[in-house]
Amino acid sequence: MKILITDDSKMARRMIIKTLKEEIKSDYELFEATNGLEALELYKKNKPNLVFLDLTMPVMDGFEALAKIKEFDKNANIVIISADIQKTSMDKVRELGAFDFVKKPIDSTKMKQIFEKIQKT
Amino acid sequence: MSDIILNEDELDCLQELINIAYGSATAAITEILNAHSTLSIPKIKVIEAKNLKTYLNFEISSEFSYFISAQQFNGDISGENLFVVDKNSAKNIALQFGLEENEINDNELSDIVLEITNILSSSTMSKFSEDLNIPISFSPPSIDLFESLLQFNNDLTSNYEKVIIISTNLNFKEQNIKGTLLILTTDKSIILIKEILNKILDEL
Repeated sequence: MKILITDDSKMARRMIIKTLKEEIKSDYELFEATNGLEALELYKKNKPNLVFLDLTMPVMDGFEALAKIKEFDKNANIVIISADIQKTSMDKVRELGAFDFVKKPIDSTKMKQIFEKIQKT
Repeated sequence: MSDIILNEDELDCLQELINIAYGSATAAITEILNAHSTLSIPKIKVIEAKNLKTYLNFEISSEFSYFISAQQFNGDISGENLFVVDKNSAKNIALQFGLEENEINDNELSDIVLEITNILSSSTMSKFSEDLNIPISFSPPSIDLFESLLQFNNDLTSNYEKVIIISTNLNFKEQNIKGTLLILTTDKSIILIKEILNKILDEL
């Protein structure tokens, strides 16, 4: 399984990786991007099975990256992880086709749920 | 000079909404740091932006180095959140997060403070704007290290008229983390907030 983690903060990426290590015992290959544009390029190159995407980032934000990745691959599984918990933001990412929306920080239970949901698709 | 003043009821209502919003944000921070902490009830105050430097130098020791990170928000209410945290507290956050002493440097601290700011600022403002029913958007935060708060430049506040100050302490068993979140905003935004606060008060 290939997983792409996108956040401009190294600390935020570390937190996601830590939760992944705690909860997911199967093998996976990790890719890291620091903005939406890098995420888009890494997606096109590696076609990951799962993308974690922050919303507030420099260069290209998460909304635009989500739209562009979904335009490239309508079956992309993209989980938004953000501290922006406004209903309008959640509605917008759902409209754009996000697989799930998680409030920062992601916890183990939520990570497990995402993987169970991914495996059913 | 701005002559917009919030009366006692409006200030009380604002304080309650900010308390709730900030509470949800700090819950996220304690979850990240994976430690039980006690959170002091945030002190909330509204001051004129031009008085911020004086306020900071009076309330916060000017002897230490400080990280000041900034995040803009835009919409019908607009402004900028500043998170002020002394270098020692930033180091305590890094240690609490699990970094070793030899891994800690200014770059690591900046990255950690930026993410803490992003979560505090975005969670607080998105909950607050949700309660007021005013959607806003966020820019990525930026950060600077000040050797002393005496270096704080009033240019940082020149686009704004009011500051909502939220100061709090996160106390862990062994380490204290002191931080202050400042919401810089415009008179136009304060007028809109005041209108909505009054609608909320009328419905109570």
